[in-house]
Amino acid sequence: MSTKRRPAERYPIIIVIALLLALHFYLRPRLWDGRGAPDFLLLALLLVALRSRPGTAAIVGFLVGLITDVLTPARFGAGALAHTVVAYLAAWGRAVFFPDNVLVSAGLFAGAVWVRTAILLLASGAAAGELASGLGFWAPLQAATTAVAGVVLLLVARDRLAIRLDE
Amino acid sequence: MSPAVGRASSRGDTLRFLLCLALSGVALVLPAAWVYPLTTAIRETALLPVVWVQQRAEEDRGSRARLKAVTAERDAAALKAQSLTGILTENERLRALLSLRQKITFPTVAAEVLHQVSATDGRTLLLSAGRRAGILPGDAVVSAEGLVGLVVSAGPASSIAMTWAHPDFRVSGVTEDGSVLGIVGPASTPNASEAFLEYRGVPYRDTVPAGTLVLSSGISGQYPKGVPIGRIAGIRREELGWERIYRITPLANPGQISHVLVYVIRAARRPDPPATDSIP
Repeated sequence: MSTKRRPAERYPIIIVIALLLALHFYLRPRLWDGRGAPDFLLLALLLVALRSRPGTAAIVGFLVGLITDVLTPARFGAGALAHTVVAYLAAWGRAVFFPDNVLVSAGLFAGAVWVRTAILLLASGAAAGELASGLGFWAPLQAATTAVAGVVLLLVARDRLAIRLDE
Repeated sequence: MSPAVGRASSRGDTLRFLLCLALSGVALVLPAAWVYPLTTAIRETALLPVVWVQQRAEEDRGSRARLKAVTAERDAAALKAQSLTGILTENERLRALLSLRQKITFPTVAAEVLHQVSATDGRTLLLSAGRRAGILPGDAVVSAEGLVGLVVSAGPASSIAMTWAHPDFRVSGVTEDGSVLGIVGPASTPNASEAFLEYRGVPYRDTVPAGTLVLSSGISGQYPKGVPIGRIAGIRREELGWERIYRITPLANPGQISHVLVYVIRAARRPDPPATDSIP
């Protein structure tokens, strides 16, 4: 099936992504600054990935990862690697088996956060303690907050994004 | 949700994915001497609006939610400053008696910490001030609690600080009474609930009791002398009977701090700007 969209169909997703970027870089630092805060940037990436071919999603994921690497250059390239893999898997998985269901979408968002954090920490050469606390506490916390934010976004913007949800 | 995206496993998609993986791999093995100038260039051009927006958000939050805390801290500082006048006068008089030179003081620049949601945030921090404010790579970064780290990359409007949690961090330390010198560095621990530093190179004959404050010694000139680093929490291990390695509980938490002070040591010592904008 073709993934090409008319320009008029792209505006809603562009608006939603712009909103997510504003939430990520302006609202999040004001309300909840920490590693457990929802990752709106990853949500935006997943929204794009779910509407794109896996190759395109991988490129967008690489660029988003590059942004995170530039802002947190503890290990340059780790973010790019993690986001590339997550975006590719999300687009590929969506094409293969993901149904239109709120809980499955929430699971996808949460899983993406956890996998992204796991790859990021492993590629960064994190020590065993940092890896355990990151994957055992911080990643699940951020996965939960991001999943909640993602589900709220889907419920609010499903008409604009032409999303069909089986609740 | 949206319509299906079609057949996923096409050759073009796989090639794009592999290309992105390869580029990520190349980025991972880039030397630090290339990484920091590259990230600074991208941060100060393409991502400048992003940094600007986040900086405004931090300032807005700081100006409202922290007003009470800042006022209280200012009042406490003003009270302490009242008693400092006598101490300073006495210090100057004693220095004059001993024919010591005037104590060197370095100017500081305040900066907001622009935290990211990344799992590695805390090893490096994005600061809202850069070369325009006089910050240069190598300048020490401190918070109200103690030493945070040092600047590794500085752009015109922002800079990156490596914190004590970074594996490459080292600082020359000395106990509060000046009797025991050592090197402070991050500890790699299998215990997830612990994040601490190690005080290495302490001779076996020296014993440092728990609770002792460890300060920067200022020996290398990298950090100012006397900045609190942390408190001794106990002996971590002994190395072949010639040195003891102590565990230090750090005073500053890079994941929590919102404001820092940067000692603009490099600019104070060398008025001419350097040719590079990062530490190789």
